[in-house]
Amino acid sequence: MATEHQSADDGTDQGNQLPLGASIAAAAVSAAVLLPVLWLLRVGLGVGFDSAVALLTRPTTLEVFVNSALLVALTTAACVAIGVPLAYLTVRTDLPFRRFWTIAVSLPLVIPSYVGAFAFVSAFGPQGGFQRLLAPLGVERLPEIYGLEGTVLILTLYTYPYVYITARASLKSMDTTLIDAARTLEHDRWETFRRVTIPQIRPAVAAGALLSALYVLADFGTPSIMRYDVFTRVIFVEFGTFGRDTAVLLSLQLVAVTVFILWLESRVRGEERTTAGGRSRALVPLGTWRYPAVIPVAAVAGLALVVPVAILVSWLVATGPTANQSLAFEWSYALNSVTVSTAAAAVAVVTGIPVAYLSARHEGRLPDAFERLSYIGYAVPGVVLGLALVFFGSAYATPIYQTLYLLVFAYVIRFLPQSVGSLRASFLSVDPSLPEAARTLGQTSTGAFRYVTLPLVAPGLFGGAALVFLTTMKELPATLLLRPSGFTTLVTHIWTAYESGYFGQAAIPALVLLLVSGLSMLVILRQEGYDVK
Amino acid sequence: MHDSDDTGRTRRRFLRAAAAAGVIGVAGCNTPGEGGDGTGTATEGATDSDGGGTDSPEQIGSGRSPFGDREVGGTTIEEMPDLEGELTVYSGRGEALVGELVGFIEDRYSDFTVRPLYNTAAELVSQIETEGANSPADVFYSVNAGALGTLAERGRTQTLPQEVLEFVPSNFRDPDGEWLGTSGRARSIPYNTDTFSASDIPTDIMSFPDTDAFAGEIGWTPTYSSFQAFITAMRILEGEDATREWLNGMQELGVSAYGDEFQISRAVADGEVSVGLANHYYVQRVVARRSNAPLATAFTRNDAGAIFNVAGACVLDTASDSTLASNFVRHLLSAEAQDYFARSTFEYPLVPAVDPIGRLPPIDELNPPENVDLSQLADLEETISLLRETGAL
Repeated sequence: MATEHQSADDGTDQGNQLPLGASIAAAAVSAAVLLPVLWLLRVGLGVGFDSAVALLTRPTTLEVFVNSALLVALTTAACVAIGVPLAYLTVRTDLPFRRFWTIAVSLPLVIPSYVGAFAFVSAFGPQGGFQRLLAPLGVERLPEIYGLEGTVLILTLYTYPYVYITARASLKSMDTTLIDAARTLEHDRWETFRRVTIPQIRPAVAAGALLSALYVLADFGTPSIMRYDVFTRVIFVEFGTFGRDTAVLLSLQLVAVTVFILWLESRVRGEERTTAGGRSRALVPLGTWRYPAVIPVAAVAGLALVVPVAILVSWLVATGPTANQSLAFEWSYALNSVTVSTAAAAVAVVTGIPVAYLSARHEGRLPDAFERLSYIGYAVPGVVLGLALVFFGSAYATPIYQTLYLLVFAYVIRFLPQSVGSLRASFLSVDPSLPEAARTLGQTSTGAFRYVTLPLVAPGLFGGAALVFLTTMKELPATLLLRPSGFTTLVTHIWTAYESGYFGQAAIPALVLLLVSGLSMLVILRQEGYDVK
Repeated sequence: MHDSDDTGRTRRRFLRAAAAAGVIGVAGCNTPGEGGDGTGTATEGATDSDGGGTDSPEQIGSGRSPFGDREVGGTTIEEMPDLEGELTVYSGRGEALVGELVGFIEDRYSDFTVRPLYNTAAELVSQIETEGANSPADVFYSVNAGALGTLAERGRTQTLPQEVLEFVPSNFRDPDGEWLGTSGRARSIPYNTDTFSASDIPTDIMSFPDTDAFAGEIGWTPTYSSFQAFITAMRILEGEDATREWLNGMQELGVSAYGDEFQISRAVADGEVSVGLANHYYVQRVVARRSNAPLATAFTRNDAGAIFNVAGACVLDTASDSTLASNFVRHLLSAEAQDYFARSTFEYPLVPAVDPIGRLPPIDELNPPENVDLSQLADLEETISLLRETGAL
């Protein structure tokens, strides 16, 4: 890191002269991220284009495309509508037990969405558990949960934390004296929020919304269980019938859609060169709304966390002594999950810094390209990314194939945009005059970065680490393909139980997943104390 | 050396038989390290392959069968060549279903280590294909014949020794000997007993679209591999046009699509739909956990709806020790393993000396269609385009 920022703050801050060290680091990161795409192209181009064209022109293609677009648009909008107010409530107001709620509303991110979907179908299906509860009241059939509405509901509940966590980091590092200034200019609270706060947090919200949108686009499990026909199902069918090459070719199509969404996001996030200090002032008092405001917060966390856990526990109780012995829970699974997730979070943040820093501090095609490229690994379905690394690992990196090193590498490639997005939004909110002031006071550029910039971006840094940590905790497809033999994590254990129909026994690892993730989040959030006052 | 080894084995066998007579069904009575220095030859087990081993096989696991104890014939592990060395097994069958069995076999030999990698069969095929000649895999253990047939077709398998192949009847293995079935699964019709009685279910799958009682009440799984194999069988037996008509007819009937067949079986038990298409053991799994569920199984006769598929194994071309690999496959055909499948996964044992368990008709009372070769079921390409063409996918 030391050399990377040597020339970064040499007065040409917004200029076009790129710092050499940071550029080399960012280029190396981008090259690593591009590895899987090279394999995609290699395999994809090997397929006859005839079969690809036939797939693309079949009658249901348009329908599937419209379905996917609707799903992505509605879910992303819903994520913003839930994530931003939750972030505001837990950062800027005197909501009771804010730290608890911060963790509670972040945690849905660790629940694999297929588990959530499965639990919701069991609870709220036409004749699920909820209906059986209501049966004495004469309720024969609940309204349909399958289809678009249900899919949007589930995916929103498990992806809004992307928006929440990035918006939260941004609100934390925002200069609230601007709000005071607006207030003295006789703006009411809403108008202040609209004219001051929103422009400040917009890059962060856009980054979070982008992560939600791309997740939804590449997810297969939830739409399948919710019986909603989308893009990824076509890919899944090809994999299921051993048509790996066609599946890979179709994934390139997903990459193309991703490029479109990335372009869209760069238009939406708008004027970005907003800078601010980092001084934060008193919280907004909610007054008589202080306790009622807990209700929506608790409702979101409750729905997303309590429903799946309650369903799983009810099965666990029902299963009782007939439990399968191969599925006995071991604490080492939790340790394995935490170890790889911590490693992935640390590496993703460290490698994300040069990419995010360049992109936030320097205009130009190259920094933009580095930043946009970091999303590629996230855009392809986990299976495809996993296979790409199976190829490189088994052919060129045999010593680390089926070891934790390659697994962590896969996580970093897959989740890098989560740390980059969060870090970038924070770098944008640091006023460049602050590190400059440090330089005039005799600090080296490294010192200025270390003592001024870094503390200012700490919320983004830990927000990014939290995102990578939580999503690695639940990552399944790449883990299944790249894990060493016998390496079991909480999620592979949940999957094993789920896949064999021992749903009840998925309850224990699911509860441990929530507990361990919650505790880890507490540790991560405590580091934020490192915040400037 | 052979003599002394055999003497030791005979003594152990006697002790084991005596012990088994008293404690069969008790968990964990196996003794790890058995025969660790053994140098068993490849011919040993085959002599008994037509059943009637002299040993009592011991039971794997806790004996939690809801269907009671029974006598088991076949060749015991004791009579098979010893396993020694390290073996990488890519298993498309779940750890929850076969982990106990693999662990049992591993624990029998002190110098034998299994490195299992569990994933779905389709993804493991992709993984083996992607690894190419660098694959560390020795054995592939699959949930269906389709995945095995695909690997064989792509030249990634090795021919199994004849004496291993002979454990199972010829209709449950590849004609070229590249793979064999280790346990069987019948296509079946789960139905809700509150809505239908057994006589309401047609015995001809082709008449389902014309069965008015099924309108809006039937579920299927177009993305699921077993369903796709069933449609492939229909194409082979009835031809392209009749299959297309059937697919269209089912959709006109208002068929509901589900993600997998366990989901269908539960949906039928819950009354979400009243009848479905699923492999037989999913129904048994629902019933084993919810004994009062209004759920029963019907079978069609001599048509695609009654196809009998297998879970099985093959030795990969990248296997570093193909004798060890094929002897491991042989262990999956032992009396112990076959009994385990019947008891724990509710599948049909394929070694004739071992009977199925549970509320299932015996294998010879089923009426699977003749003239369908299981390896033909791997040919999914035409099926997929037909499913897509008719809008089922």
